[in-house]
Amino acid sequence: MRDVARDPAALELLRVQRSRLADRMRPPWWYLPGAAIVWALIFAAPFASRYLPQGDYWAIAVAALAVACLLQWGLDRATGLKVGPRPLRVLRDGLFYYRPGRPALIAILVVSLATTLTEGSLIRRGLLADAIVVAALAVAAEVALQQARLREIRRELRDGGGAA
Amino acid sequence: MTAKPDPFIHPITRLSICGLLAAGADWVEFAALRDAAGISDSVLSKQSVALEDAGYVEVRKGAVGRRPRTWFRLTAQGRQALEGHLAWLAQLEEAVSASTRDAQQARPVPADRHQPRRVPPPLLGSS
Repeated sequence: MRDVARDPAALELLRVQRSRLADRMRPPWWYLPGAAIVWALIFAAPFASRYLPQGDYWAIAVAALAVACLLQWGLDRATGLKVGPRPLRVLRDGLFYYRPGRPALIAILVVSLATTLTEGSLIRRGLLADAIVVAALAVAAEVALQQARLREIRRELRDGGGAA
Repeated sequence: MTAKPDPFIHPITRLSICGLLAAGADWVEFAALRDAAGISDSVLSKQSVALEDAGYVEVRKGAVGRRPRTWFRLTAQGRQALEGHLAWLAQLEEAVSASTRDAQQARPVPADRHQPRRVPPPLLGSS
């Protein structure tokens, strides 16, 4: 290992090292199935609020939150990188502070909101089968977006994020 | 941002550590940083202590079960120093490639030996 950066060569070395770091950001086998379970629980909420007692609705919400936290913790541990949502940073830097993979994250939020509203509307009109189909499609879309988000994060890590 | 060399992070190991921590992750774990930088445990430990003492890196230690886990993060001071240093390196890279280009342009182009010799057309009336 050289002791002192031989100037322009150091930048090239840094690009190679960033690429190596980005390659670690690959989800373990259980991550995407786990994400599918979380989204299934989230999109089960409109059904639960209509057909289940209030206590069961909250039990589903808590279960979804717990599995989501567990997944994020597991991903951080498996990859050795923390790039997920940081709720406390929202307090410090405001709601719109930049996170790697933000475009995909915005798409995830838009799809989840649109799905919940559509499901609610279909359930109110008694179109239960249609609501189930919408929920199933939304779970698949959210998992695909989650993959896209990880790809975006990898690309940003490779490009060096904010620095250089 | 001003391009300014920082002698403290100029050594390649420190530059690698800071550059990797600035890549976009909030925190990077010891093993991930070591593998990406291609350095040994002892080198990373030594350099991270130096960077922490200088206020460039924040270190958080914890454990999962019995296994210790150390996480690193670049501080605002470290990020500012790194950005200035990288801008300076980029300027240097640009200057080096410009001077190489100039040197190549100034060098006389050698005659191509393999080019077929041009034969003058025969004069009219000669045989």
